[in-house]
Amino acid sequence: MEQKSAETMSGAAAGPRAYGFLTAVESGPHGVFGGYLLVDPWGRPLEFHCTAPVKVSRAQQILFGSTLQSHLHGQQIGGTLLAEGTVTPEVVLTDLEPMLHVRSHTKLPVAFVRHASSGTPAAMFGSTIGTGSFMIGNASVSPHATDAARGDDLRARLEELAAAVDLCEPFERIRAAIDEAQRR
Amino acid sequence: MTADFAESRPVHSWRATELAIPGVSVVPRVEPRIARPPALRFPIDAPRPAVTRVGLFDTRPAVHSFRFQSPAAQPPAAPRRMATPSDSAATSLHVLPPEGPVAEADAGASAFKPKRTRIAPPADVVKLSERFFYLLQPDLETILETSRLEFPRQPFPFQFDGMAFLMPRHGAVLADEMGLGKSMQAISSIRLLVRSGQARRVLVVCPKGLVSNWTRELADWAPEILVAVIEGDQQRRRWQWSLADVPVKVANYEALVRDRDLIAELGLSFDLMVLDEAQRIKNRSSQTSEAVRSVPRRRSWALTGTPVENSSDDLVGVFEFIAPGHLHERMSPKAMGAAAADHVLRRTKDKVLKDMPPRLNRDERIELSSEQRETYRRAEEEGVLRLADLGQEATIQNVFELVLRLKQICNFDTFTGESAKLDCLEADLEEIHASGKKALVFSQWVKTLGRLRGKLSRFGALEYHGGMSTTARDDCIRQFKQEKKHSVLLLSYGAGAVGLNLQFSQYVFLFDRWWNPAVEDQAINRAHRIGAVGAVTVTRFLSANTIEERIDEVLRRKRDLSDTILSQAEAPGASGLTQDDLFALFKLAPPRSAAPIRAAA
Repeated sequence: MEQKSAETMSGAAAGPRAYGFLTAVESGPHGVFGGYLLVDPWGRPLEFHCTAPVKVSRAQQILFGSTLQSHLHGQQIGGTLLAEGTVTPEVVLTDLEPMLHVRSHTKLPVAFVRHASSGTPAAMFGSTIGTGSFMIGNASVSPHATDAARGDDLRARLEELAAAVDLCEPFERIRAAIDEAQRR
Repeated sequence: MTADFAESRPVHSWRATELAIPGVSVVPRVEPRIARPPALRFPIDAPRPAVTRVGLFDTRPAVHSFRFQSPAAQPPAAPRRMATPSDSAATSLHVLPPEGPVAEADAGASAFKPKRTRIAPPADVVKLSERFFYLLQPDLETILETSRLEFPRQPFPFQFDGMAFLMPRHGAVLADEMGLGKSMQAISSIRLLVRSGQARRVLVVCPKGLVSNWTRELADWAPEILVAVIEGDQQRRRWQWSLADVPVKVANYEALVRDRDLIAELGLSFDLMVLDEAQRIKNRSSQTSEAVRSVPRRRSWALTGTPVENSSDDLVGVFEFIAPGHLHERMSPKAMGAAAADHVLRRTKDKVLKDMPPRLNRDERIELSSEQRETYRRAEEEGVLRLADLGQEATIQNVFELVLRLKQICNFDTFTGESAKLDCLEADLEEIHASGKKALVFSQWVKTLGRLRGKLSRFGALEYHGGMSTTARDDCIRQFKQEKKHSVLLLSYGAGAVGLNLQFSQYVFLFDRWWNPAVEDQAINRAHRIGAVGAVTVTRFLSANTIEERIDEVLRRKRDLSDTILSQAEAPGASGLTQDDLFALFKLAPPRSAAPIRAAA
């Protein structure tokens, strides 16, 4: 997976600057759907990838224990989706803390984003979140622990996009698209 | 003693039902003959244990991928202004908080969260990739902001909704009540489609009298987009139709009918065709409707404040342009409303403009003067007698003629020239003129307008009707708007009821009544529209105990039909002005079975 991400990175240097939004939606009867939206600096869609639903069995829950969510989101869904992108984003943003584990499967910087008004301190989200959190627009961005030292760099990368869209908003689009896909 | 042991390795093997352990043979060299011991056999009864395999996500989930080749990937270019809007106060669009107290924000959030308008895919877009294309776009406000588009003023939230409705649709009817800015919403949507490369050739078709209105609005709301008006002799029109690098062309209905063959000859096709006052094509067999429908196009939008004027057939006619075959006449109003729902957007002022100045309706019941009354009585008696004599030979035309004659007498006595309505109007205008306000007076007849102008010259009355050239009409509107001495504008329903923005007028008089309440509403909404600075007072003159009162009763019933279809409610008892209705005005039985009267529109 990592290798493919690296290939993707090297192969997409030319196109417009892109930003990735990665999330998952739990749908009771079906399982978990993953969605990955790549947008340009004005928030307009370039690519969208979504997974078929992944259903977790009781046995998997027991065997994976506390590592289930990080494995499911980070590798199964997140890693799979990032590998499908044909443009390389400046950064991958997610609004799900378990999805941060995708960082182990990609060379791309990954950050957790949430509304500044949510009030939950970054420290509450565990070891995946580093110390370099920053505010941009109405959003609070917390880089993965691996990218903690790159806070300033990530902020610079996100500034153009944040001037155009609320960084939490594209996740709503992904959820709407997944919802639409389920209804079709 | 040395002994070599030829050792054979014991083999333990599982069989289904026994454990077999072969015996060990030790063969000393000195004694070659020792009997081989028998194998030990321990029969057991143990079945092979079942193995349960627990999958540990060893397969990756399937992924569906969608790539968007839209020009959205292009950076939005700075607008190229081809014309400087007269309003120098043009400002960049910024979504501002609405007036009034800020609605509850999220806990702890001090920032205002503005309304965001999503572009939802229409129901007839079936392909998932196309639906995703719309669902994954940023909200409309963001698209506008990032495109750095300038608008002469901040659109209302419901106008953003209108744009979000139009943009994704290939067939759409924007049926907002008059005065809510249908043309502005259409122009802004055209602008976005042109700017994003989704439309390169757009044709706007409107009534002749509104061409200058459209060019003016296009210059205000889409200043960077080149516009060509189709006009002049055939050679000139041929050249105008052929202009490939002009994204928007504006033609009037008559020009389109005239140039139908030329359009075919030139092989023209359009990415988008917009019909203003689309009720013009409600009659599917008319030349206008056929010409409009013959133009090759990808998207078809119809703008009309009155999609249903007389009967539900009117809407079927409009749909033959936007979505042929989608509606048919045999549908009940309720079924038609349901079928049309995804294609039609209608808002009324009372729903979307809570802060709009009120419209005050005043029905002025006028008593005819004694001479006028006598003239009226004689005309009616003679007319009814003539109709009675005709019996079954009486035609709808005969009835119309009588109605028109009686209505004219209600305006002016044909013998004495007296007019109780004029007396009343003059009294009101004195006050309006003195207070520096403006009034619109509508009549069915140009001749009536002429008589009124003579009588109302002290109020600086101006005339506006279809008999005037476009230049003269534009000049008339300019004078009325800019020169304080002109307090009154006299308009014919035909020319003045559509497309004009006269919201600086505070008074509207309907000197006589039109056949159709929708047309009257259009007339009233010239003044009562966005931008109206104060209450608009509408005075409808009704001559007491005359044909006007009887027609008014029929019109009241007719007014409900449009609401029935557009709100999907149950049908009311009466749906329009029928032959029965007209003959009943004179208490006569109709000669044939009743049917809706198209001519009554």
